[in-house]
Amino acid sequence: MTDRAKFIANVTNSLGRIDVLVPTAPDASTGTAGFDNPDAIKANADRALADAEKRASELTGLMAYSAASAGWNVHRAANPEDAAGLIANICERKNAQSVLRSTHDVLSQIGVDVAVTSTGATIGITEHSGENSSAKVDQSKATAFSADIGITGVDYAIAETGTVVLHPRSGLSRLVSLAPATHIAVLKPGDVLDSLDELFALERNDFLNGELSGSLNLISGPSKTADIEGTTVTGIHGPLEVHLIILE
Amino acid sequence: MKPLTVNFRDKAASTLKDKQIQQSLEHVYTGFFQGRLAAAGDTPDWNELRTKGKAIKDHTIAHLDYYLEQLTDNVEKNGGSVFFAEDAAEARKHIIDLAHKRNIKTVIKSKSMVSEEMGLAEAMNDEGFETIETDLGEYIIQLADETPYHLIAPAVHKSRKDVAKLLDDDFKEGDPVPDATELTMMARKKLRSVFERADMSVTGVNFAVAESGSIALVTNEGNGRMTTTVPRVHVAVMGMEKIVPSIQDLSTMLRILIRSATGQRISTYVTMINEARKSDEEEGPEEFHLVIMNNGRQKLLANPQMRESLNCLRCGACLNACPVYRKIGGHAYGWVYPGPIGSIISPVLTGLKDASNLPNASSLCGACHDACPVKINIPRMLLELRWRTAEGSTGKNERTSSYNERRIWGLWRLGMMGRRRFDFGARIASIVLRPLAKNGWLKKAPPPVSGWTSTRDFPLVASRSLKSRLHKRDRKAKP
Repeated sequence: MTDRAKFIANVTNSLGRIDVLVPTAPDASTGTAGFDNPDAIKANADRALADAEKRASELTGLMAYSAASAGWNVHRAANPEDAAGLIANICERKNAQSVLRSTHDVLSQIGVDVAVTSTGATIGITEHSGENSSAKVDQSKATAFSADIGITGVDYAIAETGTVVLHPRSGLSRLVSLAPATHIAVLKPGDVLDSLDELFALERNDFLNGELSGSLNLISGPSKTADIEGTTVTGIHGPLEVHLIILE
Repeated sequence: MKPLTVNFRDKAASTLKDKQIQQSLEHVYTGFFQGRLAAAGDTPDWNELRTKGKAIKDHTIAHLDYYLEQLTDNVEKNGGSVFFAEDAAEARKHIIDLAHKRNIKTVIKSKSMVSEEMGLAEAMNDEGFETIETDLGEYIIQLADETPYHLIAPAVHKSRKDVAKLLDDDFKEGDPVPDATELTMMARKKLRSVFERADMSVTGVNFAVAESGSIALVTNEGNGRMTTTVPRVHVAVMGMEKIVPSIQDLSTMLRILIRSATGQRISTYVTMINEARKSDEEEGPEEFHLVIMNNGRQKLLANPQMRESLNCLRCGACLNACPVYRKIGGHAYGWVYPGPIGSIISPVLTGLKDASNLPNASSLCGACHDACPVKINIPRMLLELRWRTAEGSTGKNERTSSYNERRIWGLWRLGMMGRRRFDFGARIASIVLRPLAKNGWLKKAPPPVSGWTSTRDFPLVASRSLKSRLHKRDRKAKP
């Protein structure tokens, strides 16, 4: 008997049974969502997206409010030029030397590269080179750790909690939103979900379609701790300062 | 970690006398307890969410064998490995062997109570691996060579000055004490360089999702993200009960966990790890290992009275609500889990006989039950364990009551079973105790009653019972 088989057999025994019992659906109103049928899951996901579209301006307003209470510096940009101006401003104020960005479309749309380089900073893009050696991975890490600012788009936002959701992938590294001391996220209306329920409905649908990303990050404000005398301090391991630019 | 539950009385007494710790424990109330109340008040369907969370956990635990199989299959399908550890020693050995095989030098840990059960950081340091805690509170505790004081605020008992002495090599007695921000930035700088060189990480698991083989981690500091991104080997450790069936269940569980823990709507970071670095990702670990530990949990599962304790999310809300924890602090409980939840699980996981004081460290006020995000009936289980210390089996290392104690309660029981016996017993007690009493109170009694009178006065039995007084009054009142 393998360790696994022995372990699980003991669990079965402890439950007072001889064989593993395949669960049947619990009360749908209170129990786990594990028993929803695929059609219902797809319908939930479709509804979440349709809702985000239909209620875009309302949800963006809610997002701006909860993001501010979560500690994001929220900026509204009326057009791409404004957004570029805001980014250049932050780079200047932080005296940034090197900036790293993701390949989100919205960033090219606002001409972020020009905005950053106009301040004298260099810009790097977190795009996978096609090479998977450990030296290459180490190099990416070193680049992220030495960057002053990381700029990303937003895959989804969550109005309930003021959260920016990112799915790391080629073109969006895990560290670009974590290692630099400042993170700027650019949000388009229409990408804001109502609540965590909608986000996980979408994730679950992706999972059933075999499209789950390797990892998922929910980011709600700057890194913080209250481990010394209960005093909240901003900026411990992740960014000390985070900006959310809402592009109207 | 070696249980020190047997030292409960001494440790509780010394904490009560420590003014600085008493002051620090105020943060537990003003910060966490009131934060949770505000967050709950702010959430219109709060009670329904708790009911739903409880239903999800009840269902999962009732089918834990099935979900463990499913989780394991899916982690393996995603390219990870799963190891089942019967106890802390097996888990420790597995992780240390793995570190040797992978030629590891530096191990970073994010906060995990299960790894505390293993005493993992200490064991790995002894094996020659540089092993560093990255949660700020845990890091402080590691520097002080202590154990966590609270489930989510491990260093809540430390003052700024204590922390300055630990973090700042140049700090001397009499120097002005740096503020919390300065100290935090000092730690940030020190730990940044550790992150950059670490080649293995050990993290806990807040939830493991059976259907997808994912784990979810909740942190405010960002160390959960650092530890799952930078090193080339990621090991996650979990107690066998930390499962939810579906990805969708995370929305309910995260809502109740985080609000109950810190009063936030959400923590700064929630990280879901589905697999190691994909081939088109720039960073991320090469390997993912999951260690699932029993370490006595099957005893909780096998006992229908105690099974509900496996629903625990380790949020710490019961600690913050507990009037006893807020006075005697975390170290008195003598093992990894302090507070009300520790009082019910430590005795079963480490042995009730040494931990027999833990179930008594409660006024049974029920604040823990009210605060619990999954409505665990902690007081009911405290009573179950009290019963076992009094009447339980001797063979299972349970019963601690003395022969005399049981005799006395046996007599009491006999006396309470009939009116005449009761009157007779009361008269005997009154006659026997009268010479020992002063002003109607018994302040110092001989053994075995001295156990009571050493901390409390015992009221003397009245010379005449209420019944006979009423009787007399009624007679007088008659014309």
